[in-house]
Amino acid sequence: MFQFDLLSLVFVALILLGAVANIFYSSGYLPHIERKVHYQVHYFAFIFSMLGVVVSANALVFLFFWELMSLTSWQLILTEVKEKSTIKAAQFYFIMTHFGFVFLLLFFLIVTDGNLEIGFADMKLIASTFAYPTLLFFFLILGFLSKAGAVPLHVWLPYAHPAAPSPVSALMSGVMLKVAIYGMFRFLFDVLYPWPLEWGIVILTLGALSSLIGVLYALSEHDIKALLANHSIENIGIILIGFAMGMIFDSLGLYTLSTFAFIAALFHTFNHMSFKSLLFMGAGSILHQTDTKDMQKYGGLIKAMPITGVTFLIAAISISALPPSNGFLSEWMIFQSMLSSSYIDTVSLKLAIPFAIFALAMTGGLAIACFVKAYGITFLGLHRSTNAKHAHEVNLLMKIGMVLMALVVVSLMLFTPLYIKYFDNVFVSLSHISVYDKIFPEGVWHMHSVGINGGIVSPVILLFSLVGITLLMLFAYKVFNVKTRVHNTWACGYKTSKKTQYSSTGFAGPIRRFFNWLYKADEHLTKETIAGHTSKFNSSHYEVHVKPLFEDVFYNNIAKAVNYISYWVYRLAHFEQTRYSAMIFNILLVVLFSYRIFSHEFSWATSVLEFFVMMISIKVLIIGDKR
Amino acid sequence: MIIYIFGIVLLILIAPLLLSFIKATKMVLLYKRPISIFQGYRNFNKLLNKENIISRESSAITKYAPFLVLSPLIIVMFFLPPLVHGSYYVSFVDAFTITGLVSLSTFFLMLLGLDSASAFGGMGSSREAFISALVEPAMVLTIFSVSLMAGNLGVGQAGVNLAEHFPQEHMASFLFSGISFFILLMAENGRIPVDNPETHLELTMVHEAMILDLTGLYLALIEMASSIKFVIFASLFASLFIPFGYGFGVLTAFLFFIIKLFIIAFVVALLEVHTAKLRLFKIPNLLGIAIVFAFLSLITFYVLGA
Repeated sequence: MFQFDLLSLVFVALILLGAVANIFYSSGYLPHIERKVHYQVHYFAFIFSMLGVVVSANALVFLFFWELMSLTSWQLILTEVKEKSTIKAAQFYFIMTHFGFVFLLLFFLIVTDGNLEIGFADMKLIASTFAYPTLLFFFLILGFLSKAGAVPLHVWLPYAHPAAPSPVSALMSGVMLKVAIYGMFRFLFDVLYPWPLEWGIVILTLGALSSLIGVLYALSEHDIKALLANHSIENIGIILIGFAMGMIFDSLGLYTLSTFAFIAALFHTFNHMSFKSLLFMGAGSILHQTDTKDMQKYGGLIKAMPITGVTFLIAAISISALPPSNGFLSEWMIFQSMLSSSYIDTVSLKLAIPFAIFALAMTGGLAIACFVKAYGITFLGLHRSTNAKHAHEVNLLMKIGMVLMALVVVSLMLFTPLYIKYFDNVFVSLSHISVYDKIFPEGVWHMHSVGINGGIVSPVILLFSLVGITLLMLFAYKVFNVKTRVHNTWACGYKTSKKTQYSSTGFAGPIRRFFNWLYKADEHLTKETIAGHTSKFNSSHYEVHVKPLFEDVFYNNIAKAVNYISYWVYRLAHFEQTRYSAMIFNILLVVLFSYRIFSHEFSWATSVLEFFVMMISIKVLIIGDKR
Repeated sequence: MIIYIFGIVLLILIAPLLLSFIKATKMVLLYKRPISIFQGYRNFNKLLNKENIISRESSAITKYAPFLVLSPLIIVMFFLPPLVHGSYYVSFVDAFTITGLVSLSTFFLMLLGLDSASAFGGMGSSREAFISALVEPAMVLTIFSVSLMAGNLGVGQAGVNLAEHFPQEHMASFLFSGISFFILLMAENGRIPVDNPETHLELTMVHEAMILDLTGLYLALIEMASSIKFVIFASLFASLFIPFGYGFGVLTAFLFFIIKLFIIAFVVALLEVHTAKLRLFKIPNLLGIAIVFAFLSLITFYVLGA
């Protein structure tokens, strides 16, 4: 019923690392919540169910905990039902998560042959005899990626995460998405191994798309929690890129590189858990103080909330993949595994991977822009609203939560070798070869890429030299005792006010304009001009709304198509009885006519004739006169 | 080891000289009376003697950011390919770490711009974020293709390999990546087609806008950082794309390297005089060219092996 192998345990560790700090934070957040009992029951059931998913040993238990996880998180989104948008977000989440559940159920029904209580090893036997393994693969990724939030199944994240209370968004984004990644690991390794090359390429494409689209939509967001939710899509994309590289290398027989890429993916899973939880906690603290999710109403919060400010900065550096943070290390590993693609023999694949490198590098650049925006607009400058002016630091428990999570981030950076040793053991237990000795051949200080002539990075040395040089310069600055004066910011002779600063809309302006073909932004500009001058005005207001393209194109059009079809089904269902008999007559005609085609006695002349006969009989008997 | 330290110190010392040299060359080319090429040191000295003014609206970020802008770049100096044969060098640090450290410095510079609550700072940060987001992919792809030719991902080792064995058989892809890297050199250092370092007009400022509110020591630190950044890119270009003169005797090699740096600076000045600054929204076209050349370089390397 339950199993505790290394893969399960590593994810148990991930959930616990994410949950312990979160429990502190959540207890601090509790006074802010009205329905306390409802919240607490579902909160702990949620953590419990996630643990259940990763340790379950058969399909029935797995699906039970999976569904429990979905339902409790759905209820948690509904904790604060003041706004209508919350209910809508919860509905959307409910539908999307069950959309995925259907595919998981299909997958399990096929691989267990209907007996849901058999273990994973038996499933593998049944799956290996199944004629269409790619169908199973698609069921699997539809099921898990709809939960993980990869393109094109990502649309629920920017609604669901902002609607939930902040500790829950931290858990959902930081931990729950990783449980879906666990599912990918577990069933691809245990049930569907070996993988054809194409599966890896499918996942690589999805990952590259998710990372770019996630970060681009994050840039255009004003709602801080929606921004972070979009970044989850990006990071899931990065994890998937690493995962896909592992699959591709494995199916090409490059096992060392494969394990390396998988370790990179798992490491990024941990890193994303740590910094995304921390970022959501920080966002929650700000939300708690300012009572708004709109970034345009923040500003200058670092002065009032130093601990939130510093922890948020650590997480921002880490998520932007800047050295020497842990986010950098895992992205570095993923980059290195992609660069090792030059040893692949297939030229077309070799040429395709630079595009994924391009996507990942672009994502990195845009993520930096996005977090400069998020941090600068939120914490720096002058306050942009009264609430931001009167903000102060949050209570002790929430502070403890944030500091603990920051420690997790720092520990992932400092103790990278230990974590990698652990991850390496996981993949050894999944019958991959061990690469730890190749990553750290000369002690723990230098981290090597396993590719031939690969790069090397030494995170701890980098960190200490950075800190050392900065401290040295600060020391020199103190010793020289430079005369310092405090004065107003120069604003061309005007007074600096909250309105002279850049807004978050303005900050993302150039990028939004460049990517307008994707955003299709709705711009509204209203001006009150003075006496007909075009350039002089009393007040002006500029608003821009970015339409989520995927939702528009993909989901709304599907909805339209379904509507259209159901209208015709409705029409059909409300025929008169005479028309039913006419239909039967027509279907009979079709069968008779098509017989000729199936028995290979096809001729154009008779077909045309039959077609006209069909059309006339349909027109006369079914459609009839227009009344 | 002594040569190694000496090389780094030398590069840091001549950094302001290079920027002043570009400026003086430009002035000569424009028939103006040139400034002294030691103007950079004079400015530095002047700034050190000034008092430091910190904006009232700013926070702790302004206090620490100038140091954090400079220190990653100083660390990068230690990772550059060796200037002369036989010198100690850090062979293994790869391009991601170097671009990452440069981005870290830019990250704090952008935060610095947003900290003082002035419209200029935000403007500069926003534009810088836009440009550096597009520079990043081109940079990674270019360095990837160079390191393929050099046969090592470590930048230091790649420089040595190229100097010892010039990749004549891969000349086409070598040239493509060279063009791409030169565009990036101009873009990352805010030279003319991308940014004009001499103007203080709000329509065109990028780098200057972010630091408009600084003076005294802090400004000196930032100016030093930007000149060091130029030296980093110029010497990367010199050792990866003009890998000659590495095997000479120590002093000759040093001299030769510095001459190479001045040649690069001269070419930059020449290009600056002959091009107009691009509009902000035309910059992606230029960087797009860099990205396309980087891809071309990779594709020629893979498909044609040339």
